[in-house]
Amino acid sequence: MNASHDAMLDDVAVYALGTMNAADAARVQEHLRTCAECRAEYEALAPSASAVGLSAEACANAETGAVTVSPLLKARLMREVRRDAASSPVVARGGSWGTYLVAAACLAVAVWTSFVNISLNHQLHGAQATLAATQTTIADLTSAHAQRFAVNGGEIVRVHGRIYLAMHDMPQPPRGKVYQAWTLPKGAKTMRPSLTFVPDAHGTALVALPVNAALTSAVAVSVEPAGGSKQPTSKPVLVEQLG
Amino acid sequence: MELDAEDLIARIRARDADAFEALYDAHHRLVYGVAMRMLGDAAAAEDVTQSVFLKVWSSPDLFRSGNFSAWIVRVTRNRALDVLRSRNSHPEVELPEALPESDALEDVAFANLDATAVRAALETLPPEQRAPIELGFFGGITHDEIARRTGIPLGTIKTRIRMGLRKLRATLEGAVTV
Ligand SMILES: [Zn+2]
Repeated sequence: MNASHDAMLDDVAVYALGTMNAADAARVQEHLRTCAECRAEYEALAPSASAVGLSAEACANAETGAVTVSPLLKARLMREVRRDAASSPVVARGGSWGTYLVAAACLAVAVWTSFVNISLNHQLHGAQATLAATQTTIADLTSAHAQRFAVNGGEIVRVHGRIYLAMHDMPQPPRGKVYQAWTLPKGAKTMRPSLTFVPDAHGTALVALPVNAALTSAVAVSVEPAGGSKQPTSKPVLVEQLG
Repeated sequence: MELDAEDLIARIRARDADAFEALYDAHHRLVYGVAMRMLGDAAAAEDVTQSVFLKVWSSPDLFRSGNFSAWIVRVTRNRALDVLRSRNSHPEVELPEALPESDALEDVAFANLDATAVRAALETLPPEQRAPIELGFFGGITHDEIARRTGIPLGTIKTRIRMGLRKLRATLEGAVTV
């Protein structure tokens, strides 16, 4: 066992350097899970392997003859990054946001129960599958790419082609009533009926709207009779242009 | 000296382009240098540099904590390996598996190292240890391939890599300025 384990320690070093093929790397990874001695060796040697990479840093000094990095590269990158930064709304990050998200995502399946429009059904199935993937929801809502539109009682989050209503402070609708979301397709003049929902006792509701964000220009919410309406029957409690 | 990359990353999360610029200024020579060494051509190295930094901008959360230089070296090496893979005209030659990027290298002992110190430490290695380490890290070939090309037995190559990395660590520990 000792001789073969010495060979394993050699393998760990080669793994740390990153020069193994996929099959050998998987074998070492598996062994690292169970062997403390090899794990310690890996932890000792991995920084040395990274340090090898540091030795390649290009010299800034052109006099030495070392390669220099084209300033055009930076100009190109910064143009792209500044444009992107300008188009991202400022992200508000509250301390308890993460906790809220976990709770909200677990809750999500429960809150949006009734569907309004039979013709929405096939889309709804897709949306349901999305929502069942709670992790996707959480990843979406915490994504650095997410655009957040603050609205009364929460926010609308647009990310990766999806739109979420993330409400954290929404009063209960009157007895026998529900909230209903409405979406405005780009180029359309009238809102389309979307999901109905009821916030929980804490005013929390998370609704993944079954629309393509790229094709949606506005979102609204109104109070409607249980079961939902084909057209709004009350003044919206929120309307947000998504630009 | 390492800028506080964790602070810059936190600001990048909040879409702060100035923080991104500072991060680029501090690390682009490292990223470009690794890519250049592996790919051997300036245009490809620039492409890799651009894609690595755009990835940092678009997904700053990929870096969790630890030694940022070590992390970005891994990301760069993996990206350059992808390029080598796409170029590989001999599919029978297996390329090394990418290093895990998620493995937070908590070891910050080497955070203050500069390239000069590492080059000096590499100089102290016997050539038979240094060669397979550099060839393996930058050459984009597996240790099997090194053994095949040099005719040195596989087990010997592995042992030399391990001895070399251990010696490198001991030398660098002496070289760290805090
Ligand atoms: Zn072991």
